[in-house]
Amino acid sequence: MNNLPENSASDKHLVDRVLRGDNRAFGIIVKNTENLVAQIVFRMIPVAEDRKDIAQDIYLKTFHNLAGFKFQSKLSTWIAQIAYNTCISWVEKKKYTLPGNLHEEENYSSIYGHSKSINESETRIFEKELSIILRKEIENLPILYQTLVTLFHHEFQSYEELAMITGLPAGTVKSYLFRARKMLKEKLLSKYKKEAL
Amino acid sequence: MNNSHPDELEIQQYVLDKSSCSDSIRNHIESCAVCLEEAGNYRVLFSAIEHQSTPAFDFDLPGLVLQQLPPASPQLTADRFIAGFLVLFICCCIGIPLYLFRIYLLNMFSGISPFFIYSILASAFVIVVIKAFELYRKYQKQIHLLNYN
Repeated sequence: MNNLPENSASDKHLVDRVLRGDNRAFGIIVKNTENLVAQIVFRMIPVAEDRKDIAQDIYLKTFHNLAGFKFQSKLSTWIAQIAYNTCISWVEKKKYTLPGNLHEEENYSSIYGHSKSINESETRIFEKELSIILRKEIENLPILYQTLVTLFHHEFQSYEELAMITGLPAGTVKSYLFRARKMLKEKLLSKYKKEAL
Repeated sequence: MNNSHPDELEIQQYVLDKSSCSDSIRNHIESCAVCLEEAGNYRVLFSAIEHQSTPAFDFDLPGLVLQQLPPASPQLTADRFIAGFLVLFICCCIGIPLYLFRIYLLNMFSGISPFFIYSILASAFVIVVIKAFELYRKYQKQIHLLNYN
């Protein structure tokens, strides 16, 4: 990884404290990264009861492997990678029936048209309504797309960081994100177009 | 102006980071109504995604995790704390008077005749030599006692 961690000094300080036996420092790490981990867990794990166990499992793995962290990325990215891999293992183990998967995209038909823009329709709907519709549309995306979209646009993770978290090549991450955004835009446009008719 | 429209990937990139696009793409988008509309759609979409509510765990995750960690090693024992406090106290007892009365301490030696100073130094030297000789004799005696051969 070539991206230099921005907050490596504070990461290093916290990791050193944990390795010296200061568990409170680990509490700070958990607090600092739980939102990022929550984004991954909530997107990937559909069963609410399992999320509690998974979240704890992620941080226990982090704690036991902390001595092996080489500061080649931000600590949060490394923890997100553990979170992602832990969720993948749980999904495989529990065999969840997920609402979306990568192959769903093949059945997706483009209904995109230039005749009506979101900007025009936006004047007729409340922002809240847009948010609710968008949330539903994001939930209908394949799980991997959901995760990438939220981590990129919500948690501001870079393409390289997303590649590290998911273990995918950066080019693939870019391509998936492009497709996910396109799908979302087209679905929203079609929705507003139908409403307008 | 380039007449062919940029593809969607380029429009997405324009909305995400205008500066990373080439001049020709930027100029086209900014002067083409169709592309501007496309860029606007993406801008609304990205803004709406960013304003989505964030999921959060409804339990105290740091608390739960910390309960399961091995006990923390003591950072500062009571003995260490007392020892540290005593060292600090002694340093204060010596340092504060030295700092407050430093002018008087320096003036104490001014106005004394050189003969008196040399006498003090000579006496100190003689005492040090006698003490060193005594130490050497004591050391030799111990060596002799420990020599079993």
